[in-house]
Amino acid sequence: MAQQSVWIVIPAYNESRVIARVVGELVQCKASYNIVVVDDGSTDGTNSAVRSLPVHILTHPENLGQGAAIATGIEYALLQKADIVVTFDADGQMRREDIDKLLAKLSEGFDVVLGSRFLDRRPEGMPLVRKFLLRLAVVFTRITSGLRITDVHNGFRAFTADAVRKIVITQNQMAHASEILSEIARNNLKYCEVPVGIRYTDYSKAKGQSIFNFFNILYELLTRGKK
Amino acid sequence: MILAQLLENFDKDVSAHTTIWIKVILVVLLVIILRAFLVQRQLLIAKRLSALGMFVVLLLLVIYPDVSNSLAHAVGVGRGVDLLFYMSNLFLLLLIVGQWRRLNILNSSITRLSRSIAIQTARKPADNKQTDDK
Repeated sequence: MAQQSVWIVIPAYNESRVIARVVGELVQCKASYNIVVVDDGSTDGTNSAVRSLPVHILTHPENLGQGAAIATGIEYALLQKADIVVTFDADGQMRREDIDKLLAKLSEGFDVVLGSRFLDRRPEGMPLVRKFLLRLAVVFTRITSGLRITDVHNGFRAFTADAVRKIVITQNQMAHASEILSEIARNNLKYCEVPVGIRYTDYSKAKGQSIFNFFNILYELLTRGKK
Repeated sequence: MILAQLLENFDKDVSAHTTIWIKVILVVLLVIILRAFLVQRQLLIAKRLSALGMFVVLLLLVIYPDVSNSLAHAVGVGRGVDLLFYMSNLFLLLLIVGQWRRLNILNSSITRLSRSIAIQTARKPADNKQTDDK
């Protein structure tokens, strides 16, 4: 089988403190991934922080939201004839070793492989409130889309090009994570979950979503406009 | 019958000099607002006509305030002010929904615009190496 081109899409908004380290680690991987950093209108020098690295840099003129940034990265990757698209967070929570796990599972014939923090073990150091809300979101997803998954707001995903072409992301902000899941359900894509490790550092906890964002996501989903 | 009532009311109101000034002010404001509507070139003819219709209705209500009372009674609402309150609430809600739709459309076009700019101005790894050499 010919070498598949793997594109890693990293949405980044004001991540200048960590982005160079996170992307630098990915660049040093033995495999030759193509890396796309989507700078979502950052104002803190995120863009120049990655300019010395051999990566593709896309820049939104204005801040649009993580969903929009991921959609931009995916569209670019597809234009560059990507075979596989991986979404990866810029804040250093995800481990690059897990990319191989997702890719291995994808090659078993799945259309989409989703990372899960809860599949086989308890996540270390996760705040209790967040755990509860994520569980609530799991139930919500099961009811609305029928997907049986354990972790609905994990940004670690791998798609085949054919699959990702069918997924339409209209939610510019955080609700895109739920939208991707309902798109998976709508298109009857073959999906599975793979356990991934996650690091809750002080930085990522501060950067991550507050509990109140749960209501924002719900609101975004309920008031979603037509495409 | 309504016409006779209108004329009667008009006579009554004109005789009351204290109330005439507020009417003059309101009518002048209405004319200014109507003019603002009509000078907008890109406005559709349907919107111009509905603005004109609205203007006529409001004008009548300003000049003959008692009409709203009889209208309210006709549809089973206590006072004319209440009827106006309901109608204007409904109108405002419609307006908000319309603006909301417009905002959504605007948002998605800004997103598409930003996306195409981002993709057109993409920096490839080779570009980054060049800046390294300098």
